Formats: sequence, C-alpha cells, structure tokens
Amino acid sequence: MSLPIAELVPPHIRAFEAYVPSRPDPELMRVYKVDHLHRLNNNENALGPPPAARRVIEAFESPRSAIYPSGDSFFLRKTLAERFGKDPDRFLVGNGSCEVITSVIKAFCDKGDNIVTADKTFAVYEWVAEFSGFEARLVPLLDYAFDPAGMLAAMDARTKILFVCNPNNPTGKWWNRETMERFLAGVDGRAIVVLDEAYCEYVDDPDFPDGMELMERHPNVVVFRTFSKMYALAGLRVGYVCGQKDVIEYVRRTHIVYSVNTLGQPAATAALSDDAEHIAATRRMVAEAKELLLPAFDAMGLTHVEGAGNFVMVQTPVSDSLVYRQIMRQGVMVRTMTGFRFPNWIRVSLTQPPAMRDFLTAFTKVVAQARQDGSA
Amino acid sequence: MIEPSPRTLTLELPPDVAFLPTAASAAENAAQVYGLDQGGALKLALAVEEFHAYLCRHGDPAEPLRLSLTSGGTFVRASFRLRASEVSLRALNFAASVSLDDGGDDHCELGLLVAARTTDRCSLESLGAGAYLLQAEVDRAYPEEEPLRAPHRLSEPVSIVEASNDADNHGQSPAGLLRHAALLAAGRYPARACPSSFSRPTRFADMVASGQYHALLAADGAGRPAGLICWRGSGPRAVVFSGPYVFDDGEDRTLAKETARLLTERFLSRVARTEALCAFSERATADVPQGWFERLGQLTLHGGGAAEVQPALFRHLREDVGGAVWAHPDLVPFLEDAYDRLAFSRDILKAVPHAGGAGPGMPKHSLLATALDRRRGLALLRPLLDGQDFAANLAAHVAELAAQKSASGCPPDILLHLDLSEPWQAARHAEAAACGFAPRLILPHAGASDLLVCQHVPADR
Repeated sequence: MSLPIAELVPPHIRAFEAYVPSRPDPELMRVYKVDHLHRLNNNENALGPPPAARRVIEAFESPRSAIYPSGDSFFLRKTLAERFGKDPDRFLVGNGSCEVITSVIKAFCDKGDNIVTADKTFAVYEWVAEFSGFEARLVPLLDYAFDPAGMLAAMDARTKILFVCNPNNPTGKWWNRETMERFLAGVDGRAIVVLDEAYCEYVDDPDFPDGMELMERHPNVVVFRTFSKMYALAGLRVGYVCGQKDVIEYVRRTHIVYSVNTLGQPAATAALSDDAEHIAATRRMVAEAKELLLPAFDAMGLTHVEGAGNFVMVQTPVSDSLVYRQIMRQGVMVRTMTGFRFPNWIRVSLTQPPAMRDFLTAFTKVVAQARQDGSA
Repeated sequence: MIEPSPRTLTLELPPDVAFLPTAASAAENAAQVYGLDQGGALKLALAVEEFHAYLCRHGDPAEPLRLSLTSGGTFVRASFRLRASEVSLRALNFAASVSLDDGGDDHCELGLLVAARTTDRCSLESLGAGAYLLQAEVDRAYPEEEPLRAPHRLSEPVSIVEASNDADNHGQSPAGLLRHAALLAAGRYPARACPSSFSRPTRFADMVASGQYHALLAADGAGRPAGLICWRGSGPRAVVFSGPYVFDDGEDRTLAKETARLLTERFLSRVARTEALCAFSERATADVPQGWFERLGQLTLHGGGAAEVQPALFRHLREDVGGAVWAHPDLVPFLEDAYDRLAFSRDILKAVPHAGGAGPGMPKHSLLATALDRRRGLALLRPLLDGQDFAANLAAHVAELAAQKSASGCPPDILLHLDLSEPWQAARHAEAAACGFAPRLILPHAGASDLLVCQHVPADR
C-alpha cells in the first residue's frame, strides 16, 4: 500500500486552512436568486480607475497579450521613482500586495523566526507566515488600533518582521506621527518594520506618517502600497514594496519576476499621472457615504467603527453570516467579520449613493426582523 | 516500520495469520507505553487480533495490512486502513447478529463483533474511493470526582485565561483551573449539558492537553474560575461546542452574562481562522448569549427521563457560497421550507430511490455506524454503506437500540443523520420514514454538504 499523501506534507501545511475566495458574481446571483449585486465586500473603488488608466485599458490591443510583460515592471518602477524621488531599484512590483508580503517574509525569515502583527487585521501576513512555517505572534488591538507597546513586548531575538497595517483594515484606525516615531525608536532597527499603506490615499490628515519619508530616517522600514484600492485596478493586480536599496535587493532574490501582467503595468503607470482629481472625487464619495450610513446606524442603536479608508464596520444584532445571507438575497454583498476575529460585525465598503441606499434598506429590514423575532 | 510522529507506531504486515501475534503484541506493548493499564492493553490487543484475522481472511492477499497505534492522550487507538470492495463489514453493524450454525465466515465476523463491543469505541470511517479506516479505541482509566455545588460568588473583572499564562490563578495552574471549572460546571448544569469527562476532571484536562477538546476559561478578578466553554472538531469542516458554563451564583446575573458573552466571542475568534466552516452546539446551555447563533430547529428528547427541548444552534464562520444537496422527492417540501427560513441558498437535486441499483450491483449488506451515549440517553445512526438489506438493517438497529437502557433507565432517543451530498443516502429517506424516522432539522456543512437530522418517533409517543 502506498504512503498516504498527507504523510508527505509538512505539519504546518496540513494544519493550514486554504483560503477560499468568494464565487464569481454571476454564480452568486444565480445562487441567491437576484438580478443585481452591489459589491460592498472588497473595498473596491466604485468610481473605477483614473481617466488616464482607463484610456490605457480601453486602448489595449489583443496582439500584445502574446508578448511577455516587462519582467520587473521597468517603466512602472521608473514612474514610482520619479513620483517619490527615489531610485527605481528601491521598488519591487508584485501581483498585488499579497505577493510582495510573501517575498518579504521569504527574504527575512528562517526556521524558528517569527513575525509580529495584530490579531484583528489583514489576514495575509499571518497566513503567509504560518504556511511558510513561521510563527505569527498576534497582538490584540487596543481601542480598535494596533497596540505599539504590545507589539514591542511581543518581540524577541527571533522576530524578523513587524507588520503594521496603517490605516488598519478593517477598523480604519491609524497611528499618527508621534506614535509611529515612538514605535520605530522602540524597535531600534532590530527587525524589519513593514508599513502596509494600502489605504493611505484615503487619509487626509497632515498627522498621518508617510512611510516613504520615514524609511529615509529608519532604514528598517519597508512600505507596501497597492493600485487595487484608491486606483481601482484590483482586477489587474498591481502592488509594490519600497525600502532601502539593500533591503529591496534581498527581497528581490525571493521575488517572482514576470508576475505583473502587460496591461496592469501601463495602467498603473498611467494612474499615477492624473490621480489628483480622482483621489479628491473618491474621498468625496466616501465622505458622502459615511454621512448616509453612520446616522442610520446610530438611529438603529448599533455600534460602528470607522476611520480612514473606504469602509466602515458595524456590529450586528445577530450573526454576521446570517446578515450576509439575508442581505445577499436582496442583492447586496458585504464582508462578514468573523474571519477577522470580529464575530457579529460586518464591514461595508463605502461607495456611491444608490448602492448605499440599497444596503441600508436591506440591512434595516434584517435588523428589524431580528429584533421582532427576539433573536437579537 | 514508519514513524510519522512520536506518538504513532505504524506497522506494515503481510496479510497472513502467522503475524497475528506480532500485531497483537505490538498493540499491547504500545497501549501500555501510551498509558493504558493491563486490562485496557489486552482489550486493544484483542481488537487488533480480531481485525487482523478478519482482514487476512477477506482482504486482498497482495496488499499488506497497515496498522497504526496512536496515543490520543486519554485513549489509545488502533486503526487499519483497508479497501472494502471485497470485504463484508456487516459484523460492525451494532445490530448485527450472526449465525453460529455453520462455522466458517460467521466465526470470524463474531470476532469482529466482539472487538466492536469490548473496546470503548469502534468505528469505520470512509476515506473515499472505497478506502476505509477500521478503528478501535480504549480509554485510560480516570477517577470520578464529586461535582462542586457550593454557591460561588465572584468579583469583577472577568477575563479570559490565556493559554500562555503560566502564572498561578488563585493558586492554581491553568490545568488545575480546568479541572476546578469542570467540577463547577458538573455541579451547576444537568448531566446532559456536560461532557461526561466533567465528572472525571483529570480526564477532561488531559483531553484538552492532548487536543481532543479545546477549552477557554474565564477567571474573575481574584483568579477564580468564572466560566468555561469547550469545543472539538466534528468532521473536517465543523466544530461543536459545549457551554458556555458560568459559575457566578449572584442574584444579579450581570457578571454571569458578561462571562458568557466573553467566552462566546473569544471562542468564535479562536475558530474563525481555522479550517472550520461553521460551529454547532453539541450541548448548548441556557447561558448561550442571544444573537450569536442561529436556531436551526429543536429536538424534543426523552432519553434522559423527562422530556427536554434541545435547541440546535449554529453559525457560519465564513460566508455561505451556496451549494447543492440531494433529496428524495418526499423530502423536498421540508428542505425548501427549512432552507428558506434559514436563508440558505441550495440547489435541491432529485435523488432517485435506489439510484445505485437494487440489483446485483448493490452489495447484499448495508452498514450503519452507531454511537450510543448511555449517559445522555442518545443514539446516533449514520449510514456508511448501502445494501439490499438497508430497510431491514435500519429496523434491526432501531429494535436493538430501543431495547437498550440509558442512565435514566429509559430507552435512548434515536437520531439518524443522512448526508445530503450522497444521493444514495438521500434516497433512503423513504425507508427511514417507513421505519419511523421524521425529518427534524438541517445541519449545514456538517457532512460533505448538509446533514439531515431525522428523529425516530416510537409508535407509542
């Protein structure tokens, strides 16, 4: 009898839960018997990409799909370098920021090492560490924000990377300049500090610490950014990491080349060329959505948490997964928060008024029904 | 010999009865190393001997037998991996009766039956593609202790005792707190609401230490046990929980309610990023906080003595992406109503009765797995293999179980789980109904897809 396959698999892979992405919209609409679907689950930007990026996408000629893309996103890195006043070799572009998270962990962690992050944040840091066989030390949030003292206390000699999601997904809370500086002083260059700034373009506050500037004074700082959120290029999967040249040189050794596609590279490059009005319009849309939703949550007597970013979290009076199913039946998809370790909360992407109104209608009905049934 | 982990001994044996003593002595030796007393070790050795003899006789002569002996912390397990295409496993039916008239096969099946009944648990698990795991488990012996019933007044604030917290709490280690909490729960909640190991608290603590159970403890401001919730895996995609148990006996229930909420929230956070898709109540207490679980339905149980309504609580740990289930035509209205009420989206596919063919292609004998918990007065039947005798076999199981006595002296309640991912199981609903089983509720994702729970309704009830 042959050896069972499971016995060939390392224990940390056997114990690991594979991520199951949600099904495509047409299948979800068929399953939930709806003729439309408002996607309020992935913090996508409903305005779509900035105009210049849109033009690049519309002008894409199919014969180009026969040609390999630039293996290291040459022109995009050059544009990023100009934008931030840094050497192009200080940037690495990946197939979304998930890929660069993997590259950084592979570059710095060895057997027995650990990473430190929060318990209730973007799950990919924890997942990549665990399926790579490294310990993920999870520090509880403090008032919905990363706890700098807790993270420092969790560090030891085998801590290689500290991941700070700033602003934090899903709470939107962020560290200001003073908190960040104190934290970096506490780390004192002993480990890499990753600042995941996926939502930084949503912050309009001068007290927000800019990682691109911090890394010049703290060479152990590495910054992740993405074109998936503010720039609305999630479908093309483009993210990047920036750091000191020697840091990035090590990350490059573990990084997959040719992973960013031929359309994504020029679309992202173009997005940077005319983003001012796009960012302003997106921020206005988010602010209007908050004005609509937050008073309604208050009127229902529901606790909500919001900060920077195009999303808000609200506590549900019944199971978040039940709320998900019930409002899916009305053509609205939100993100349940149990998987973020916030059971009985949902996260709602902030988009245009019609979608927000439809969400409120569906959600209000579910809350009222729960209270009437006495299940709340 | 392969040793995948330090707590498992694995042997590959030729399918030859000459190696019976090798298998039996390995089982006896491993059982003693893993902590069983002499009696327990002999029981396991006997089971291994009987399994081995049976497989030598009925298995593929070219296929070596693979025996694993594993320490489960509080028990020792012997398991054989096998292919069932040529093997009749009829003797593993709880209600199997054998004729001793003509010797031959039946003597061998009798041995298997003996093994099934002398060990603490004996089971047959399907691994898919015709592969099965035949397992026997023998428990270590633990002393029973008196539940703690003295009133317990606690002080704020209540907090979760973290596993990494080795510091003493009220002079106790976390394992000591677990044992203390188990006895407090046993003294405050009916036996049906508690795992049986609560009355043998060292066993409970060992079960937690070995990963059979997971537990969360709450402690009050002075470090005394304030509450407990525990859970275990149930199949690849579900966890089942017992509790929450809360120990503050003050008239004002504020502290007790806060403890229950804290335990429930932390329990869900713990299981949220595991392979589990959903959580079910195994023994829900009245202290489950409102709004955290969905009520799938309820069962009225009589096996514990007085009639008792048991709610079935559930929650997803992820978003439901829909799915498909098979259903006998008679069952479709029940399913449509249940799925609509619970807002589950399912494609209901029609299971043609005897889709596998009742003719020569269908094995003669069916196989049902039986779990009988005498303390709770609850029996659970699960079909493992279809066969021409399914209806008769099910009826025989019901008759055999109805003749059993639970701890209360009453016959146990009998539940039947049909996995609706299997067309043949769904199609057997008609035979189940004819045997007195009524559909009660759906357990989403509890099988390969959803499980239908049917309850046997005795003619006189």
